[in-house]
Amino acid sequence: MTGSKWKVNESLIRRFQSVGRALLLCDLEDSHSGNIALRWKNPETGRDQLVITSTGSQKGDLAASDICFLPAEGTDYGYYKASSETDIHARILALEGVSASVHAHTKHLTFVTLDEGDKPGRPAPFIPVDPLGHYHLGGLVPVDRFAVPSGSREMTETVPQRLSDHRVTAIQGHGAFAKARTIEEGLFRLCIADNSGYVVQMAERVGVDVATLRAGIQAAPDAHFSYPPDEYTIADDQSCDFPEEEELVREFYKAGARIFESRLSPFHTGSLSVRGIAALLYAPKAAMPREISGPLLRTPLAADSADSPELALHKAIYELSNFQTIAHCHVPEAEALAHFVYPGESRPNDRIVPIDAEGSFFYLVIPVVPPKTEVETLVRLLHDYKVVIVRGGGVWGVGAQSLSEVLHHPSSVREICQYRVAAYERGLDLRALEPEKAGKW
Amino acid sequence: MSLPDGYHGRILEVDLTTGGVQVTALEPALVEDYLGGRGLATRIFYAASDPACDPLGPENVVVLATSPLLGTNAPTSCRGHMVFKSPLTGVIGSSNSGGTWALVFKSTGYDVLVIRGASAEPVMIDITPEAARILPAKHLWGLDVHETTARLLSEAAGNKRGRVLCIGPAGENLVRFAAVMNDKNRAYGRGGPGAVLGAKKLKAIRVRGNLKTTITEPERYQSGLEQARYLIKAVPTTKRLLRDMGTSGLIRLINVIDMLPARNFQDNRHSFEELENAGGEALRDTILVRPGACGVCPLACQRHTQVGPRKGEGPEYETLALLGPNCGVYDLEAVTLANYRCNELGLDTMSCGTTIACAMELFDKGIIPPAAANGLELRFGNHAILEELVERIAFREGLGDILAEGSLRLAKHFNHPELSMTVKGLEIPAYDPRASYTQALGYMTSPTGACHLRGGYAVSLAFFGGAKEIPRFSLLQSPIAIRNMQNLGLIQDSLGICRFTGYAFGTEPWSRMASGVTGRDFSTARLEEIADRIAALERLFNLEAGVTPEDDTLPARFSTEPLVVAGQQRVVSREVITRLRSDYYEARRWDRLGRPTAGLLSKLRINGRQT
Ligand code: SF4
Repeated sequence: MTGSKWKVNESLIRRFQSVGRALLLCDLEDSHSGNIALRWKNPETGRDQLVITSTGSQKGDLAASDICFLPAEGTDYGYYKASSETDIHARILALEGVSASVHAHTKHLTFVTLDEGDKPGRPAPFIPVDPLGHYHLGGLVPVDRFAVPSGSREMTETVPQRLSDHRVTAIQGHGAFAKARTIEEGLFRLCIADNSGYVVQMAERVGVDVATLRAGIQAAPDAHFSYPPDEYTIADDQSCDFPEEEELVREFYKAGARIFESRLSPFHTGSLSVRGIAALLYAPKAAMPREISGPLLRTPLAADSADSPELALHKAIYELSNFQTIAHCHVPEAEALAHFVYPGESRPNDRIVPIDAEGSFFYLVIPVVPPKTEVETLVRLLHDYKVVIVRGGGVWGVGAQSLSEVLHHPSSVREICQYRVAAYERGLDLRALEPEKAGKW
Repeated sequence: MSLPDGYHGRILEVDLTTGGVQVTALEPALVEDYLGGRGLATRIFYAASDPACDPLGPENVVVLATSPLLGTNAPTSCRGHMVFKSPLTGVIGSSNSGGTWALVFKSTGYDVLVIRGASAEPVMIDITPEAARILPAKHLWGLDVHETTARLLSEAAGNKRGRVLCIGPAGENLVRFAAVMNDKNRAYGRGGPGAVLGAKKLKAIRVRGNLKTTITEPERYQSGLEQARYLIKAVPTTKRLLRDMGTSGLIRLINVIDMLPARNFQDNRHSFEELENAGGEALRDTILVRPGACGVCPLACQRHTQVGPRKGEGPEYETLALLGPNCGVYDLEAVTLANYRCNELGLDTMSCGTTIACAMELFDKGIIPPAAANGLELRFGNHAILEELVERIAFREGLGDILAEGSLRLAKHFNHPELSMTVKGLEIPAYDPRASYTQALGYMTSPTGACHLRGGYAVSLAFFGGAKEIPRFSLLQSPIAIRNMQNLGLIQDSLGICRFTGYAFGTEPWSRMASGVTGRDFSTARLEEIADRIAALERLFNLEAGVTPEDDTLPARFSTEPLVVAGQQRVVSREVITRLRSDYYEARRWDRLGRPTAGLLSKLRINGRQT
């Protein structure tokens, strides 16, 4: 191998390693499962190659030798080392506009798509009830029930077919495949799909009528969500517009890694900002592992008609307040609990009341507001409660000083929701566990 | 609009020139817009004062205000706030004190005390629910703070608890950084309020009362109270650290972040051995008798100490650092004894320490000749002269007469104003601004001159900020961070509560408690707006008193003499100062000359002098 060739491969290998590690951290990979594939033009030969993780390799700890460089068509010795699902990936990569393909054990999606139907078969598609799943996955994820749900011929034929129309497809009992432009985008889509599965699972665990919710979403999707999240971008990751603010850059990366690792928002979702006088420092992919950071942008603080709804909301909150930092995270537990209805009642509650000691003192209650809540109302609640859950719109938290301060909010919200889910599942009376006066706070 | 609960609705106005005492009604609109404490005092002071007045003349007005939470059991809700024109700086003086005096003052049935004019002879004011009287006080003139307090309490018969606020000889002698003391060792310390009372010949104010504060919505109040109490217990700083170590425990922590000043801010290096005997740990292990607390305070940061036969309070961090390492002194007992004497004579220990450090540098550099030092060897590290110097300042003896003018006038007297470590004439607290842009900006923009409490206690975030810790050198973040810190301070001062609760929580529990007491909606957004309003009014006074953007700056030393901070040579360059200042003005919505814009004033319902 020549020096230059090794260099190109080295950066590619690092990307595979980062994505593999992220899969592990997201619990989409259990030591040896899944695979990551990329169509790549070899700069030396000018030929397309299929780069894919080897069979049985540990995705969380990929070595250079775990990554196989195959001809895009045909086989060579590397084929026998490569994933047993190489053929499926090769066909996915042959789809128009597709350069990457990732398969992972999206367990939560798998849990909520299990049924007792005959194999083979085609169960009902999975309908996400959260905004990320709805918008990023095009409203549904097809599900297939294969007789042999691993590397089989029927899978090789069906999976690429499904992906010609959808971004992610699920295999009953065996995770999901995503097509993408980059392996990072593939990771993103699988994270979104699994997160959607997790939201549904959580909602089911607290007795939410998911079928009715889904019917409502399908009838009037926009009414159920605040606004579409930003389209996933692949161009500007790792960039930074304000390198001179060294300490702040570190703070962004630290907060981003926490959001990702603590699962406060799925990979490359959510947003973080710090307000300056005329400028806004903005991380549009808040949940970012250290090795795959999203861009750190500097943008004018003044509203601009070209701003995405997400960025526009950051700016609008600052416009109406003295806050210095904002975090918006799609905390899956909060997404689900926002639909919780107390037994015997008919409408979701307008607050989540912590039942654990720490949560209940830091946050007497956490307001839950409808998806299309006016920014003035949101800001008023943020002043009083510092964190607000928007049903179908994620968790908004604010800080007077720092990013780490604002990070506290989504992480507490997640824990508060987890306690409530656990208590409900154990058959405890949530009302009885809540402080008596919470209804008035 | 009626006056809400939490107030008695009465302002006591005393004119020392005419001897007149009258009671006026507290307008409900004032409390809606300015809440209490600092806000209320600033508003009443602004309307009553002449910014061009001689601070030591009879036209200067002193306003002392309490807050709606005083008289409840809200943690630390014991503090009074005093506003005046400072004889040290010529700008607004705004000073806050704990203890129990303000609590008892409120229990006499008044929310605010306004003092005008000046008496020809020493007087005191005696306030009970039944009467407020101006009494002769010739017999007290010349007594120190402890003697005055003891005398007035022993004279006060009856079943109501009595408390004394007074000045010591330093105030009588118009030392420009004389403090007003209450409960013996608590101080309205900064900016020279003691000299203002001294010039008015007002020696003391004794209060005795038993009236209660009523709460409109006990449940709402209780929800904030429970949260506050829980958080105070949950956070180690408020739960234990302040009780165990007092603020003097900060010495080592501040040193670790390279902020502890040495020798008039010429350096920030101290040896481990030096600090081992000069910090909170040594204090705890050697001279501490017991911790103490202001009224309704579970934090108990006060230090009751003993050195040999002498007993007293302190030193707290600022005193220990500024009379200590900043004077090259690492002798805990010497600093403690100087601190005792400052308390007894009624001096601000911070300005005193930094003025002495300035004198030492002038001496060190041969600018003060030995002959002018009246036999005192003023060199850095000479701990033996500290107490003596304090005496000479308080009684204006020899060189002490020049030191009594504060470090800026001292340095100017010797033609080296650049050696005065002051902003707007107020001595810089014991956190070197080169180690934090945010704190630097706080000193630059504090309405009273360099004060960490009025200017934003940003540095507290550097050592105990926990989740709130902010970058120290962020140009982008500092202006808004310091404005927000200042606003939190404005809210705390207007609620009559202690800064140190800020280690445990921000505004939210207070918002519930204030709303519960008053039955009015003091949401956090509204409290923020009140803070913005007070900040604008303080600025208006200062502008009218002649402040310009050039005054919102730091001494040249901090721009030209680098120190090693976090492994790097650091200054706060002129460019950084200019940028921070203009960004801060924008953050406050002031114009480029630092004037609140017309739009802001109208939004805040401030209508110039007619406000
Ligand atoms: S913390 Fe210290 S200064 Fe504050 S109120 Fe308590 S005892 Fe007084």
